[in-house]
Amino acid sequence: MPKNAILGDLEQAIMDVLWTDGGALTVREVLDRLTARDLAYTTVMTVLSRLETKGVTTRERDGRAWRYRAAATRESMTAQAMRGPLDDLSGEDRQAAILHFLSEASADDLDAVRAAMAEVEAKGDRPRRRR
Amino acid sequence: MIAALLLLCAAALIAVPHVLVRAERLRRSPRAALILWQALSLSAVLCLLGAGPIAWLRPRPLPPVPGGVVTALATIASLGVLIHLLVRTHDVDRRIRTARDEHRQLVDLVGRHEGEHTRVLKSEQVAAYCVPGARSRLVITDALTALPSDQLAAVVAHEEAHLRERHDLVLEFFTVLHTATPRFMRTDAALTEVALLIEIIADRAAWQEVGEVSLARAILSLAEAAGEQVPTGISAGAGAAATRIRLLLSDEPAPWQTLALYLFCVAAPTTPPVLSVLVAG
Repeated sequence: MPKNAILGDLEQAIMDVLWTDGGALTVREVLDRLTARDLAYTTVMTVLSRLETKGVTTRERDGRAWRYRAAATRESMTAQAMRGPLDDLSGEDRQAAILHFLSEASADDLDAVRAAMAEVEAKGDRPRRRR
Repeated sequence: MIAALLLLCAAALIAVPHVLVRAERLRRSPRAALILWQALSLSAVLCLLGAGPIAWLRPRPLPPVPGGVVTALATIASLGVLIHLLVRTHDVDRRIRTARDEHRQLVDLVGRHEGEHTRVLKSEQVAAYCVPGARSRLVITDALTALPSDQLAAVVAHEEAHLRERHDLVLEFFTVLHTATPRFMRTDAALTEVALLIEIIADRAAWQEVGEVSLARAILSLAEAAGEQVPTGISAGAGAAATRIRLLLSDEPAPWQTLALYLFCVAAPTTPPVLSVLVAG
């Protein structure tokens, strides 16, 4: 597996730990909760600080250690992933940044879609043509 | 004189999109139509870029207009357009790339990893999209995977076609040209039409795999899901669902029609240079 993919999996596993626990965890506590992994302390420390640079975790001082927590809940980050890059980009850029299968449909559109669908169903699949 | 001709050519070509968006027949040969759009845009840019150098190399004033005026206009057009396009390209490219990078990191964290580039979001909403680029992602939701398998296959084939054929590069090219064109000259409908053509091309790929009934059902499922959202900005989505399904019903265009389109594609960017050479000679 390429190095990036392993790192990506680890980042996700660490976020899972933070989301499940909900509290602020030290590197050691995160490491202990990562099951079935043979990981070095420094690896987890590195990944946690990478995640902090990305803005998906926050950290606070606790004596001599840092405590990390998820910057947002899994639900709110999923909602953000559903919206796409809507907030920061203009309409044109947004359309080019991410290609949606279908981005919007009004009530009137839906009636037209259902009418067209009925015609397709009536006609059925035709033999495939070459592109 | 050649410079003036090139400027006139460019003006005419910039007006073309306003006419072309009305030609709905073109959608039946989407690939040829998309290349035609690119060819015409490229041709307009070539005219503008060529006018300056030619005015300097072959200063032949028109009878009623002093040569200085043409040379000045041509120089402004060429230099201005060149700088403007370079700045725009850099700008658009940077913004889009940043948005994609951030979004890819986001879906990598919250999505379930299924294979190298598919991410499944935990959501009740039926939705699918792709994040194109060198490290592309195909993003679908749990609700989408719950659709009948032929519809799911249709959506995946459609998105994979976007990624495989690098439709993002085509869209980026037009986004740059669109934002570089002065507001009073450009038409949002042109960008929407190009985006629609790209969707139609991806639809054809899906249709080859699953047939038109399954694909049409998938479009309906996603239209019903999208109907619950508030529309924002311009997109191919508005009214596109019905158009896309109707195109599955329409007959293939006659071969001569597609051939004629391709001939136009070749003629558009070659005419300005050939014209300049002929008039110069």
